[in-house]
Amino acid sequence: MRVKGILFAAALAAVGLTSCARSPQRAPEVVAATVKSVPLDPADKAWAAAPEHLAKLVPQDLVEPRLVTPTTPELLVRALVDGSSIAFRLEWADEDPSDRTGPLRMADACAVQIPVSREKDLPDPQMGQGDRAVQVTYWRADWQAAVDGRVEAIADLYPRAAVDHYPFEAKPLEANPAAQQEMAGRYAPAKILGNLRSGPRKTPVEPLISAGPGTLTPVAWQGEDGKGVFAERRWQVVIKRRMPEGLRPGDRTAVAFAVWQGSKQESGARKMRTGWIGLLWRASS
Amino acid sequence: MARVNNWQIGREMSYWYPESRPRRQFAAVFDTNKCIACQTCTLACKTTWTSGKGQEYILWNNVETKPYGSYPLAYDVKLLELLGSQEWVGDTYAGRTIFEAAPAGERVLGWGPEEQDYAYPNIGEDDCAGQVDHGATMALPHMSWFFYLARICNHCTYPACLAACPRGSIYKRPEDGIVLVDQGRCRGYQECVRGCPYKKVFYNPLTGTSEKCIACYPKIEQGIQPQCFVNCIGKIRLAGWVSTPDKARPDNPIDYLVHVRKIALPLFPQLGLEPHVYYIPPVHVPESFNRQLFGPRAAQAVKAYLNAKNDPDLAGLLCLFGSTEMVVARFKRQGETVVGSDESGATLVQVPLKEPVFVRPAFDPRFQLIRINCP
Repeated sequence: MRVKGILFAAALAAVGLTSCARSPQRAPEVVAATVKSVPLDPADKAWAAAPEHLAKLVPQDLVEPRLVTPTTPELLVRALVDGSSIAFRLEWADEDPSDRTGPLRMADACAVQIPVSREKDLPDPQMGQGDRAVQVTYWRADWQAAVDGRVEAIADLYPRAAVDHYPFEAKPLEANPAAQQEMAGRYAPAKILGNLRSGPRKTPVEPLISAGPGTLTPVAWQGEDGKGVFAERRWQVVIKRRMPEGLRPGDRTAVAFAVWQGSKQESGARKMRTGWIGLLWRASS
Repeated sequence: MARVNNWQIGREMSYWYPESRPRRQFAAVFDTNKCIACQTCTLACKTTWTSGKGQEYILWNNVETKPYGSYPLAYDVKLLELLGSQEWVGDTYAGRTIFEAAPAGERVLGWGPEEQDYAYPNIGEDDCAGQVDHGATMALPHMSWFFYLARICNHCTYPACLAACPRGSIYKRPEDGIVLVDQGRCRGYQECVRGCPYKKVFYNPLTGTSEKCIACYPKIEQGIQPQCFVNCIGKIRLAGWVSTPDKARPDNPIDYLVHVRKIALPLFPQLGLEPHVYYIPPVHVPESFNRQLFGPRAAQAVKAYLNAKNDPDLAGLLCLFGSTEMVVARFKRQGETVVGSDESGATLVQVPLKEPVFVRPAFDPRFQLIRINCP
């Protein structure tokens, strides 16, 4: 019994070290506290200023393909604003983290969704609808690894892989990097077309807009950024984006979240999500 | 789901989108009896399109030995097991297609290959279906057999990859029916990889998108056959355009083989995609196996093919395979010659039904000696 008690205390201490200080009472909605400058680091002390909201996740089961079996049950959310940016700190448990993609191998990911306009009649929480679009900021674990310095190459994905030859690395082209790049591009049309999935990657997040399922579209970067850290079997991810249009201190809008567990082959529509949650910019901290 | 007509299964079926046929449909006929699995087609494709980083395991074209070969591993057997036992009644498929058998929450009945499933591109290569007993003699069908199945994307009328993609990143070109992944729009969800029963869409981990056979559309647009066709040393392939049965033209080589003589059959028609690579079934393989792969007309197709030597029009058309780089839109036999032409009727190629044979006498009268057949 005594050993069990010690282990329990140690486990509590470990959680305390890696997570932000827990609020005595969880907020019923996401309440954004004001700080001088929003932090990107999920371990930053500034997060303690924001109350914690426990968001319950439900499977995406409205459009095909649906997620039939629930996975990640809940998400801890905090938010900070500095007048020009709003940052969300998302935290959830993940027993089997995944920061690579491959055949049927998906990366862990999360996203924040905010309606484009602050109307009382909110759009559908599932990716918005027709004339009422939503803004989505999406973070992914493999992009985080790339930003953190991991070189994206087959040898890293598959350490025992042996590649005979790439034509654009042939001897005669070695002295001509421009020709090499041009030839390599012929085999990477997504990259040539500027598909952000193909990199190069400066941030682990991607800004998007959506007006209904299947309409998600990347938009121009406007300072979105993020940082994800995996520790103690939990993801702690900060997603930073510009302030919602017209939001002033004391105002309220709505926010929704989604989490993808890569090890469960979740991607795209196969995800755990919330409905709309109130997002209040607390007038003073 | 919409109701659409699928002539290959002889009935209407359910599909994710309404029927929308292209102005003309790219198609191919592969003669399995000529393939020697040299993989020249595989390399022609690989060097042309998939030599980039992240494409190492991607084979838009592959040749597998049946019954045991498959790439990715057991792609066909796994789906057939998922679908379960189904039936044909005559030429009408009475079972469920992969769209009709989709589980709740799914767009198609599919499965996703794991990384390991792509680790054995030549599994089962040249493996016989069984032991050859001592003293056995050859007869048709062979008591022990294998054959080579060359595979590319089928550019289906009802692509499962297209139906499975939740964001419409896959489209079928109205001008030629070629099915493409929009590389600017794809977000790498891999629903298409799960959905395609032929597993001819591949995820590229370094571009983060899924990629597939493009039927060499830059060549097709110029009236030239794709790389895997023109590089085939066995001359097993013919590219062209297939019509629906009601619009079949006897002078269209693909229509003639598919609709008129019915010797070229789709691969796994029962899955419901209306695929457009048509196979002349192997003649030495048990009927039950051919039937599972190519449908209920397989036995008749084998019979008609074996009779080609007595059928000059059919024999002539078979001679056109691999005879020209250009797409042969029309053909005509004139006596002992078969002529292939383009859409305008301009002659592309003329091939004799029988190649001239020159017999060199064993005895050389000039030098008064017996010739021997070595260089």
